[in-house]
Amino acid sequence: MPTWKEKLANTLAAQFAEEIDAFESQIALRRTGKLDEKIFAETRLRRGVYGQRYDNGHRHDGVRTQELKFLSDMTKGPDTLWDAPGMQRIKIPFGGVTPDQMDTLADLAEEYSDSVLHVTTRQDFQLHYVHIDDTPNLMRRLAAVGITTREACGNSVRNVTACPLAGVCHGEVFDVTPYARATAKFLLGHPDAQGFGRKFKIAFSGCRERACGLVNMHDMGGIAVTRTENGQEKRGFEVYVGGGLGAVPHDAKLFDSFLPEEELLPTAQAISRVFARLGEKKNRAAARIKFLVAKLGIEEFRRLVVEERQTIPPDPRWTGYLPEAAEFKENPLREAVPLNGSQRPEGFEKWYSTNVYRQKQPGYAVATITLPLGDLTSSQMRHLANLARRFTGDNVRTTVEQNIVLRWISEADLPELYRELVRIGLGEPGAGTIVDVTACPGTDTCKLGIASSRGLAAEIRTRLAGKLFTLDEAVKNLHIKISGCFNSCGQHHISDLGFYGTSRTIGNRKVPHFQVVLGGKWEDNAGAYGLAIGTVPSKSIPEVIERITGRYVRERNGNENFQEFIKRTGKQELRGMLENLMQVPAYEKNRSFYSDWGDPREFTIGDLGMGECAGEVVSAAQFDLADAERLVFEGQLQLDNGDYGQADALAYRAMIQAALSLVKTQFQSVRNDANTVVNEFRTRFYDTNILGDRYAGNKFAQYLFRRHDSPPNEHTLDHARRIVEEAQLFIEAVYACHDSIRERGSAPVSVRAKP
Amino acid sequence: MEIQRFGVKVFVADPSSVRLPDYIQIFHRWIQNQMVEDHLLIDVHNYSHIHHGPGILLVAHEGNFSMDMADGRPGLLYYRKTPTAGTAVDQLTTILNSALQACRLLEGEGRFRTDDFVILANDRLNTPNDEETFSQLEPIVSGALERVFGGKKFTLTRISEDPKERLTVRVERIPVSR
Repeated sequence: MPTWKEKLANTLAAQFAEEIDAFESQIALRRTGKLDEKIFAETRLRRGVYGQRYDNGHRHDGVRTQELKFLSDMTKGPDTLWDAPGMQRIKIPFGGVTPDQMDTLADLAEEYSDSVLHVTTRQDFQLHYVHIDDTPNLMRRLAAVGITTREACGNSVRNVTACPLAGVCHGEVFDVTPYARATAKFLLGHPDAQGFGRKFKIAFSGCRERACGLVNMHDMGGIAVTRTENGQEKRGFEVYVGGGLGAVPHDAKLFDSFLPEEELLPTAQAISRVFARLGEKKNRAAARIKFLVAKLGIEEFRRLVVEERQTIPPDPRWTGYLPEAAEFKENPLREAVPLNGSQRPEGFEKWYSTNVYRQKQPGYAVATITLPLGDLTSSQMRHLANLARRFTGDNVRTTVEQNIVLRWISEADLPELYRELVRIGLGEPGAGTIVDVTACPGTDTCKLGIASSRGLAAEIRTRLAGKLFTLDEAVKNLHIKISGCFNSCGQHHISDLGFYGTSRTIGNRKVPHFQVVLGGKWEDNAGAYGLAIGTVPSKSIPEVIERITGRYVRERNGNENFQEFIKRTGKQELRGMLENLMQVPAYEKNRSFYSDWGDPREFTIGDLGMGECAGEVVSAAQFDLADAERLVFEGQLQLDNGDYGQADALAYRAMIQAALSLVKTQFQSVRNDANTVVNEFRTRFYDTNILGDRYAGNKFAQYLFRRHDSPPNEHTLDHARRIVEEAQLFIEAVYACHDSIRERGSAPVSVRAKP
Repeated sequence: MEIQRFGVKVFVADPSSVRLPDYIQIFHRWIQNQMVEDHLLIDVHNYSHIHHGPGILLVAHEGNFSMDMADGRPGLLYYRKTPTAGTAVDQLTTILNSALQACRLLEGEGRFRTDDFVILANDRLNTPNDEETFSQLEPIVSGALERVFGGKKFTLTRISEDPKERLTVRVERIPVSR
């Protein structure tokens, strides 16, 4: 039988072919046990080959945990079985895809996955349920159309993202597309970008005001700016570093208010070098560049990068692309013809009102294809490729809101395009509105998911879709974003209404919950992060949305926006509104609360792979934890009041209180002064790894230690906000540990247990 | 010819009877009791939000099952992922039997049309959608149908000639003339 390697031998670029052949060899070595599983794991991650939920060979089926008895016990990483289905991430720099690439993606989804393509919040595609043995051929077929999966995962430069409206946006300073492309190409496999302790994400935006680039939440981001030098307009970038979401969001810091375009790539290289040299390597929880920038301070970080920049030998690639960038423009397929007079099909006006953006080039428009939960089928993708060939050519991009846009559509073609989209089930209106909910994979496929983000998103979409056009205008354009855990892949921090999954124990049962995060800002390049209000059972979240948005409509002052409304109302009042929704009915009264959206199994977090916690719970611990939650909430209120010192003190006390709750499970009569609590906690729960779990490790404990060991010299908003967020996460970790202790039903085992 | 990565879709007799959310519970139950012979059942995925999509998917190591909604025609779809043993006819027979086994398990939910279904070649490299491959495939399909359905007669039609689409064969039973 022929092989894809043979068939595509003369099609692939030599470098792509060699890399994929090398990966195939590494697969063979691992199969024969000649390559260590840890090394192989990082190797495959750097090819975008990711683990997926249940790949440790265990799955809770709603009644019990089943062992998944694959024939082979070979592994593709620590605790990751070879035959377990996995995920393949496919990098799409700045989201740009061509119809031929779309056809290939469709074919691969059918032949190696489940016929569904998933668009991620960073403009990638993901295929799920892929067997690792299929990945080399999958990569060859992608490479044949110019796509690489290299460095789609792992500790590397991830997909370089950019505004999907780049080049056609009314507000942009210039088109960032060629710069995003050049940065992606330059850093791909670059030796200076191989020694990171964690991933590194880059984004470009054409302007400060619109959200599309989300520069503020990236490790490195560039906003297009110009200035006049000697009467000539000069292009450059306002460069930011050290932003990020994750468990604790960090605002990016301004690195340079005008970095000339010719300095973009060498500066990216210098930043990479400094990050590789000084970034944390052992503790993954503190290894993103945001921690390095915070530790050094932006001034010192900048100094180091500038110094590094001077030492790098010149590289012709730094400027080689600039002439092309200056001339870069996309070619529309069809002539610009205004929409006037075209016959409009039923439903068109609504779709047009939400899904069409009129380009700065007269007569052309961008049509957004709304993808429910970021998903489309292979068949839809192939039809979409044909529509692109017919109406726009290569001008297709994915978006960070998990949609696809067709750019350079002649306005007169919009009605026909709409008819065709409806025919293939992609004519839904509502792009960028409250129904266009963003969600990470959550418990559907992610190993770290706690609650069902996609299930909740689907439920919210269903409830809101029918009434979208009757909603108050102020509510219609709010954003909802959902993450299955605190790691923020759903970008809940920068959403008007954000939610992240967590769990609570009621009686002896687990109940899926979501932390409610209000007042984040998608606009202004992710201009503000929301703060947690309280934890609500998953099944009550739709009611949370009803209540909050209802009150906003009723009580907003004039044109007051949602962030202003949230700020004015105050978290205490908002929490009060949700208080009764935080209650969970007894299992016997309403079992629906004890399972997640779209999943009839009784809820469990056992599939997460629990850590080392063991022991029995004492009821006093619940009170201590409740007290800790109260303290952190009060800290949030003080943060809002601008009393950063008090906010810091309360958050710190909350962490001490939560730590005390655990220490008491082993040492009931412990003194409750901070030094004693921290020392006891460190010895009993941190050094012994009882608090840690296999994914988050002990990172949450370090929040406590850091604050305890280094109180702030001055109280700033940034610092206080971080401490409050960290306290919230630390408390969540303590909750999880208590749950484990309770589940094990025996005294915690501590190798250094004291009386 | 090797019959690997083939699929079979058996249509539901009464499409209006299909309530996709019901299949989430059903497939979870199959996993709880590992109800499909020779298959390691792993997970259920809800794709009901996708227009004419895979509906509800039951992922297994050997092959995936779904209450599939492609083309707006609900049916039990089975795709084989791991190799099957024997001759080409043996291989296709195994795949057909797996699909029919799933249909039997779902009989309580409605009737399946074993007189009109499709066989899909999910491998564009080794079974491209062209006339030559279809000609090679016809006797293999006939042989497998003979083994599974005894003396019943079927017509085989290649559904699409678009080379981008997968080779898909419609199988229709010829009514017995009286």
